[in-house]
Amino acid sequence: MTSSVGSTTGTAGTGELAGTLEATAAPPPRRPRGRGSALRRQNFATSIRNNFYFVLFVVPLQTALALFLAVLLNNKFLRGRSYFRTAFFFPSVTSSIATTLVFLFLFSGGGAVNQLLGYVGLHGPNWTADPRGVFHQALGAVGVDSTPGWARHEFFNLSWWDWFSGPSIAMIVIITLVVWTTSGTFMLMFLAGLQNINEEVLEASEVDGADAWQRFRLVTLPMLRPTLILVLTLGLISTWQVFDQIYLTGNNPATITPAYLSYNQSFQNSAFGIGAAIAFLLFALIILLAAVQRRLIGTGEDD
Amino acid sequence: MPARTYSPPWRRGVGYALLIFFAVVFIGPFLIQLATSFKTDADAANNSLSLIPHPATLSAWKRIFGFTENAGIPFGRWLTNSIIVATFITLGRVFLDSLAGYALARLRFPGRQAVFWSILAILAVPGAVLLIPRFLVLKELTLFNTYPGMILPIVADAAGIFLMRQFFVNIPTTMEEAARIDGAGVFRTYWSVILPVARPGLITLTILSFQGSWNEFQLFLVSTSDPKYNTLTTGLAKFSSGQLGAGTQYPLTLGAALLSTIPMAIVFFAFQRHFIGGQLAAAVKG
Amino acid sequence: MIRRTRAPLALVAGLGLMLAAACGGGDSGFSNGGNASGGGATTGVKLTMLIGSSGDAETKAVDDATAAWAKKGGNTVTVTPAKDLTQELTQALAGGTPPDLFYVDASKFAGLVKANALAAYGDQMPNKDDFYPNLLQSFTSDGKVYCVPKDFSTLALEINTDMWKKAGLTEADYPQTWDQLDAVAKKLTTGGVTGLVFNDTLDRVDAFMRQAGGSLLNADGTAFTADSPQNLTGLQFVQKMAREGTLKFPKQVDTGWGGEAMGKNKAAMAIEGNWIVGGVKNDYPNLHYTVVPLPKGSQQATLSFTNCWGIAAKSKNQAAAIDLVKYLTSTDQQIQFAKAFGVMPSVKSASTQFSQQFPDQKAFVDGAAYATGPTSLPGFDQVQKDFDSKILGLSNGSSDPKAMLAALQKNGDAALKANN
Repeated sequence: MTSSVGSTTGTAGTGELAGTLEATAAPPPRRPRGRGSALRRQNFATSIRNNFYFVLFVVPLQTALALFLAVLLNNKFLRGRSYFRTAFFFPSVTSSIATTLVFLFLFSGGGAVNQLLGYVGLHGPNWTADPRGVFHQALGAVGVDSTPGWARHEFFNLSWWDWFSGPSIAMIVIITLVVWTTSGTFMLMFLAGLQNINEEVLEASEVDGADAWQRFRLVTLPMLRPTLILVLTLGLISTWQVFDQIYLTGNNPATITPAYLSYNQSFQNSAFGIGAAIAFLLFALIILLAAVQRRLIGTGEDD
Repeated sequence: MPARTYSPPWRRGVGYALLIFFAVVFIGPFLIQLATSFKTDADAANNSLSLIPHPATLSAWKRIFGFTENAGIPFGRWLTNSIIVATFITLGRVFLDSLAGYALARLRFPGRQAVFWSILAILAVPGAVLLIPRFLVLKELTLFNTYPGMILPIVADAAGIFLMRQFFVNIPTTMEEAARIDGAGVFRTYWSVILPVARPGLITLTILSFQGSWNEFQLFLVSTSDPKYNTLTTGLAKFSSGQLGAGTQYPLTLGAALLSTIPMAIVFFAFQRHFIGGQLAAAVKG
Repeated sequence: MIRRTRAPLALVAGLGLMLAAACGGGDSGFSNGGNASGGGATTGVKLTMLIGSSGDAETKAVDDATAAWAKKGGNTVTVTPAKDLTQELTQALAGGTPPDLFYVDASKFAGLVKANALAAYGDQMPNKDDFYPNLLQSFTSDGKVYCVPKDFSTLALEINTDMWKKAGLTEADYPQTWDQLDAVAKKLTTGGVTGLVFNDTLDRVDAFMRQAGGSLLNADGTAFTADSPQNLTGLQFVQKMAREGTLKFPKQVDTGWGGEAMGKNKAAMAIEGNWIVGGVKNDYPNLHYTVVPLPKGSQQATLSFTNCWGIAAKSKNQAAAIDLVKYLTSTDQQIQFAKAFGVMPSVKSASTQFSQQFPDQKAFVDGAAYATGPTSLPGFDQVQKDFDSKILGLSNGSSDPKAMLAALQKNGDAALKANN
């Protein structure tokens, strides 16, 4: 059963399809490694690493930005808030392909972002062409230039040094793009949450002498907890599936993610078995995260 | 009664400054996109930040609308396909999701809870995981490279069913009881009594379905390989990730991307309330 | 109320969709009326062709040629230039609806044969013996000639003559050795212009490795020889120029390939094959360039690339497709293609005519004598992609040539093993 899953092309009759039918008839193995080449394992490990850093950066950033904008928009003393709210939410309704194209343009070597950086005297990198990890860059700035001996050992065909590379500079572009796109949606959720907060509690705390920051930290935030958990978990679940933006940056080890790798293996290399296995693992991960979400939030449903 | 009736000017100033800063950040890219579509390739590459084309040219737009000899992009084809699939998916979703939502909200049958949760669970499987299965199933059903193949897999969705169920649950049962007393059957009750009241929900569902199907990419990517089925999303994506420098014709790609955003923008500005309402409903569901 | 009529409408629409699906799954356009057998008809046939075009010039040339054939025989041919030939072909093949004809790159040939995607029609070609034997060899498996080469190209060095003159250089300064290349690239790297730009792929870097005397596979293709001192020398030379900034890769100058970098005046020199002729003709008409052979390392070497006209094994119109290929590989038609986008004919009978008509492509023609073809090994694609992704790192020190070759060796060995 298992040998056909690892092959790049089919074993019988008309090539790929025979292989894929066999692959889907039998339950896919839970662990695609141990089979196939070291390169496949390395690609898989790279995709997990990239997606991990992506999640690590995007979820806090988009949550923080969304909350900040919501608080800003909740301020009764600013006029025209609904126009600003529209402006902040607008990127969320556009297609991911269209916005990725714009950002790839903005972040091109001679593009707008580098021009802006130039105005403050910084020389921006060639963003999407730069596969170096951000953490490596930071360490390099303090003199750690090459892989220390202990970090040469490999886990899944990827050295520990490479595991700790941080997101690549190319990935930073995607991170920025996704935060820009999704903050608006979560901002609305926080707004709804903020508007549900009882005014009287806030007034009471002000009477008790709390200043604005204390009010926020000790009254508002705790009352936002359900929304916060919702935003965090929705963010976690969606960031692990990122695909559209990665498709446009191509088969670049600096940005591949499991979802893209699954697609690439199947539709570029005819290795449907590998692609299906990767997708299955991704699915398991997402179910886990959804279960965690349900546990933390509860279903909210009776009846 | 608001507790504070006064806010010091400096605080308001900071507030406005922040609002304007972020507005620039969120809207700026679209303005740059618009400006770039009127630039030449060289100007776009060298002066990407500038909002003023120098020289201004319509060459990118001409290529989009097919007025030039030079192989432009089959924008008309992409637009047509997008409209076709978006229309059918939206109609399908409105019809099916509202029916399902009503059934799950109002009709009592054994195993209702189980059905509800299994529908949600099945339909909530993320698209990225379904790339391969959808391709294989469509192939088996000989729906690969066909319009039905682009429509049927997503003609019902979990969020829509959930949304409609919420709306129906919130309608008091008295209306239905009255209709029942008057002798109406289930479908008639649904049609004449419930649907009109659930109108806001239906509008929201329509708008969200349109948004989802207009911006859909992954399904169209795996369900078709023939360029004549490219929609705005797959067409642009394949064009830009192509070989030999097609990806750096920025005025052309950005202009086309902008055009593909405009229908969504119009729908958005016209029906803002419902977009935002839909999001808040999702928050409440949480 | 509008809503009253909406549901019935949707119902009708839904039924309509079902019916459309049932009645043959939509118009795929791949079969003509009532041709059940392996495709015997040669008139009234609708053929589809998927090509990996180098630019508008090539697409137009293929369009014109197929239209001429179609008119003669009362057929129609739909030519589609692919944005990503490999991906689109793979998906179409896996989807069971491949185009009747498509380009097959020599490096992808073995994989397609293994997947039984190609029809073997080589023996049915009357001019089979006219093709260059080494090109035919690239498309032969198990003694069967699956498809015939449509043309071939070799790599050479293209030099922007305007920039050359401006830097005070003359024809005598055309680089013939690595040191000379290094020197002129330095001279030409000024302002926003980089001396040399070529794609960060093994399909260019391998030329340098071979010039240093190395190779990827041993003579009979049974073992990988990537990790050798000669290959290291070649790779280190590339690294040297990259670190000096006299060599940049297209992405670093915001372009997609060397020809574009030259056309946009970001590069003074590029390393490309014949396709650059067609690739820059329409887009950059003001580019004046000349073509010289690649400089020597310890020996003269360059790479050759060729595609064949692949006919899908699943195609229902094979007879008509073969007829079309006969037409497209005729001497006259190949010269037409050469004129349109600069590739070299794959038939011996056209070689003198080509050399006479296109003297400025002499460097490409001469290269054929000492060129080596690409590595054709199923699964090598991934190995190459992995190597390619590290090439850009040579310019900023994040990639190490020794490590790159070691990885190439390891992965290449694994790919070889997987196929035996």
